[in-house]
Amino acid sequence: MTEQRVVVVDGVAGYWGGRVAERLLAEPELHVIGLDTEPPQQGSGIDFIQADMRNPLLVELLKEEKVQTYVHLAFLGSERPSETAFDFNVMGSMKVLSACAEAGVTRVILKSSTLLYGAQPGNSAFLREDHPLNAKRNFGALRDLLEIENFLAAFRSQSPEVKLTVLRFAHILGPTADTPLTRFLRDDTAPMLLGFDPVVQVIHEGDVINALAHATLNDVPGTYNVAARGAMPLFKLAGLAGKFTLPVFHPFAYLGESFLGPQFTPIDFDYLRYPCVGDLQRMREDLEFEPAYLAEDAVREFAALRKQKAAAPAMTPQEAEEERLRVIIERRKNIRQQAASGSSTRPQPRGHPEADAVAESADSSLYEEKSQ
Amino acid sequence: MTESKKTTRRRTRARSAAVPSELKPSNGDGEVKVQKAVAALEEISVSLPNPAVEKPALESDRPGAAAENEQEIPVEQLQQQLLQELNDLIARLKELSPAFAPAQFPAAQNVIEAAQGILGKANFEKLRSVAGDLLDLDTWKGAWFIANQMAQLQANTLQRRLHGEYETDEWGMDPEVLEAVTPFFEFLYRKYWRVTMTGLEHVPDTGRALFVVNHSGQLPFDGAMLASGVKLDHPRNRLVRTMFASWFPTLPFAAPLLVKCGQVLATEDNGVRLLENEELVSVFPEGYKGVGKLYKERYQLARFGRGGFIRMALKTRSPILPLAVVGAEETYISIAKSDVMAKLIGFPYFPITPTFPLLGPLGVIPMPTKWYIDIGEPIPLDGYNSRADQNLMLVSQLTDQVRGVVQKMINERLAQRKSVFRG
Repeated sequence: MTEQRVVVVDGVAGYWGGRVAERLLAEPELHVIGLDTEPPQQGSGIDFIQADMRNPLLVELLKEEKVQTYVHLAFLGSERPSETAFDFNVMGSMKVLSACAEAGVTRVILKSSTLLYGAQPGNSAFLREDHPLNAKRNFGALRDLLEIENFLAAFRSQSPEVKLTVLRFAHILGPTADTPLTRFLRDDTAPMLLGFDPVVQVIHEGDVINALAHATLNDVPGTYNVAARGAMPLFKLAGLAGKFTLPVFHPFAYLGESFLGPQFTPIDFDYLRYPCVGDLQRMREDLEFEPAYLAEDAVREFAALRKQKAAAPAMTPQEAEEERLRVIIERRKNIRQQAASGSSTRPQPRGHPEADAVAESADSSLYEEKSQ
Repeated sequence: MTESKKTTRRRTRARSAAVPSELKPSNGDGEVKVQKAVAALEEISVSLPNPAVEKPALESDRPGAAAENEQEIPVEQLQQQLLQELNDLIARLKELSPAFAPAQFPAAQNVIEAAQGILGKANFEKLRSVAGDLLDLDTWKGAWFIANQMAQLQANTLQRRLHGEYETDEWGMDPEVLEAVTPFFEFLYRKYWRVTMTGLEHVPDTGRALFVVNHSGQLPFDGAMLASGVKLDHPRNRLVRTMFASWFPTLPFAAPLLVKCGQVLATEDNGVRLLENEELVSVFPEGYKGVGKLYKERYQLARFGRGGFIRMALKTRSPILPLAVVGAEETYISIAKSDVMAKLIGFPYFPITPTFPLLGPLGVIPMPTKWYIDIGEPIPLDGYNSRADQNLMLVSQLTDQVRGVVQKMINERLAQRKSVFRG
């Protein structure tokens, strides 16, 4: 039997952990161990171990199983800063990383966010990975990510033998994921700001999975911004996604936020006011990854599915299905045309299992707890 | 033409009915008056505006084939006939009662003549013909048609834009918005400030270049005029990416408008990226210090930033085009600056001019001075090695050198200029 690389994915009961583990199972050279406090929804042939990653015996486990790669995706999303989430996310990550260093795990893959750069008036149009992390700390999930990233800087110098791959994703968008952006776009009452239209970057959920798998399979240490090509103005994004809101004059919006707290809006108003766009040069040249979805295609797909759900009585299922398929065909045609014109180094379209899985997993509330 | 002839004819008939009743008994100078009236009529028919040009939509659907045939007789001939008839009539009336002296020419007519003199005959006649058009049903049909068409067009555009069906580039530049604002800036460029642009031949047809410009005029119209000039008058109609200060992104409406017009926040990263994409970039190294100058400090360059623009140019080996804008300093006369007000409302500076804030929004209207934009010889920077942008000495020397060139260009133009408003 050939030697299989052992990969641990934690948080497999959550959305991202589960999806990534499923994706890695398809790779023959990997042996995937799933780790979580509760079993995943569908037993998918994964080698599941029920354990808390904060358990001190994690070191023993990693040593015993000769783990080489650790994909750390366990993360509790929270809007308000919360102690429980902080303990799980930040302390948990610190324990995982120190256990990895102790047990001789060579590579750790982490999922982070470009929002950590913070939306500020003085931001360049494209922020490189070395831009300081200036995000505000009023949103729970972002604050925790910021703490983790700050810890990573210290960890890198302490344990240089562990190679870290940090993928900073832009706003994630997709038919099944539950992220701040999808919540924002689904909620017609979530306000936008009057007279502000920053350029925003998005990435399709399938490309997030692919990027994490790509980072697991290839030896690409470092920090990378990952986003789809074609950043677009916020109002264009909302228009394409079929979200219509009356824009709010910004002092009122900030006033509302300070009274009602962060759950007033799924995305902090700063991100609706100032640009926070990552530079994708390193993603293309060093990570050698190109998302399959263009930003516009990802939004159109999201909009088509949203329409399908919203207009269920008006639209027969067949019509909605046709509409969805039309979007997919259009997207694949676009990709092929671009590949043919030779202007880009885009990969050929790959099959996205999530596109087919959409119908089954319509109830994304299952993942609400564990997804960011 | 149809319309013009018809109107003339209508008026001619009205005169031939009215004039004899006024002049029934006459004492000799009646003849002169009639001749005068006819001469005036002649002039009118020449100076009559041609409504057919103004309302092309209406001409085609006017049912006038029959009317056209009967109007084949030229206007001059009609006038001659009328003159003949009137003279005969007067002669006959003189024979009947030789003692009659006509009453004074109606006062109202004098007033009208005076008004004609003031307004100019063409305007007056235009007014009358417009009034005639207002009574015409076809005018309203046409207006309704056009209004409907416009509403439909606007609604479609709005609908499309609300659904996000438009393209922007990676910086957020939106060609549709750019096209929509161009007429306004073209008006400012050609009519309001009558900008004279020299040295456009130094702007390359393709490839990168960095404009370094003096900043002035309280509001950043100088950047807009430079961009308009290159867009309107350069043979390739290139887009200039003006770099704006980090205060603008905080302003509602201004922030997205600037971005959609292709302007970019002034950071070194942005500049380098633009130049590497072979774009034209313009920088105003003086920043707020330059644009918020007092009137007494006009045309004296402030400090040229920290040399970021030189580093941008050195990194990308772009030629620098020094540029002097003259005329913008006088658009507002800043007597003083209020730091308290500036701090209170979060502005970088708050100018006090004779009209602002005294007259409120009216005080923001700039003065229609005459502008000159002079583009100087390119300063090539490709002779330096690749690490030159980290050489602080070199950067500061080059900064001062470019500043000197711009100041010299301003002084030369000022020496030639005779009047602020006439140039």
